[in-house]
Amino acid sequence: MMNFVWLLAVEAAETVEEGGGLFDLDATLPLMAVQFVLLAVALNALFYKPLGKVLDERDGYISSNQVDAAERLAKAEQIAKQYQQELAETRRQAQAVIAEAQEEAQKIASQTVAAAQQEAQAQREQVQRELDEQKNQAMATLEQQVDGLSQQILDKLLGSLAA
Amino acid sequence: MLMIHPLVLAELEVGQHLYWQVGGLKLHGQVFLTSWFVIGVLLLVSFLATRNIQRIPSGLQNFMEYALEFIRDLAKNQIGEKEYRPWVPFVGTLFLFIFVSNWSGALIPWKLIHLPAGELAAPTNDINTTVALALLTSLAYFYAGFSKRGLAYFAKYIEPTPILLPINILEDFTKPLSLSFRLFGNILADELVVAVLVLLVPLFVPLPVMVLGLFTSAIQALIFATLAAAYIGEAIEGHGGEEHG
Repeated sequence: MMNFVWLLAVEAAETVEEGGGLFDLDATLPLMAVQFVLLAVALNALFYKPLGKVLDERDGYISSNQVDAAERLAKAEQIAKQYQQELAETRRQAQAVIAEAQEEAQKIASQTVAAAQQEAQAQREQVQRELDEQKNQAMATLEQQVDGLSQQILDKLLGSLAA
Repeated sequence: MLMIHPLVLAELEVGQHLYWQVGGLKLHGQVFLTSWFVIGVLLLVSFLATRNIQRIPSGLQNFMEYALEFIRDLAKNQIGEKEYRPWVPFVGTLFLFIFVSNWSGALIPWKLIHLPAGELAAPTNDINTTVALALLTSLAYFYAGFSKRGLAYFAKYIEPTPILLPINILEDFTKPLSLSFRLFGNILADELVVAVLVLLVPLFVPLPVMVLGLFTSAIQALIFATLAAAYIGEAIEGHGGEEHG
């Protein structure tokens, strides 16, 4: 163990003598810095720029595609809405046409019924008038006959009396 | 030394470096070797992922897009939606470099490759690498604040009250210090713990610690990148005073 420690000490002394050691700063430092900067420049040209460009382009591509798709979706929705509106409009028109036709039919029917009723009324009135006329004629004839008969009766009675 | 060393600490070599002399400058060769490996992996994967880019990603492209989105989210959360884009390369490279470094250190048996001195390990277990990254972060947030707000950026030093001026100045030193030492310490300590355990019990026992090491490595990369982004965001926003662990 003593030997070990002693040898360690020897080594420490040796390294100090050589000018080596852990904290041996020398021209390695600036050269390493230069080398690192060159590496950064090389990697910038070889790695960061081309791949960064690809990443940005892809982002742009995706976002533009997304915008495009969103636009198309909006357009499709608009068309669907328009179609719905047109459908509703057409339905309403159809309803209106049906209603109009029904109304017209109703009108025609009621007109026809009214005309028929009027005609019937007119015919009835005419018949009534003819009836009344005939009745009056008949009454008039009857009155004449009554007058005649009563004259005859009177004549007969007066004749018998006179005789 | 070379005779005694294998007997005493077997595989443990701390503070030993493979020195390269380049025009009178001393370099840590093993750090550069592994960092070149890491850089090569990153460049190769990036190249393969972006070779044939498609709108609908698959395979490697998908994976790297996931990584990029992760980095972007990180930067966006810390810096803000408006300003984060120019900082993605810096923050992202910090994260990727540290992450791949840490995991390469933990997953690849570098120690099978023998070097004359020192040993291959994660580049982030050398203080030079972490200090370099931390100083770059400091420069980055100074640049971010200065370019965004001009001289008004320096008003942050006396922001709540001028009494806090020394603390605010101190903060600019403690930020890179804590960044670099946190990363360096975690990675080095993790490798040391694994090495010591392997030394004591070579089989199976180090495995849970190795798994834990993978976890902490990933967390450290995330922490470094997040803090760097947070400092930059703070400098740009200029509310100041927010202290991040």
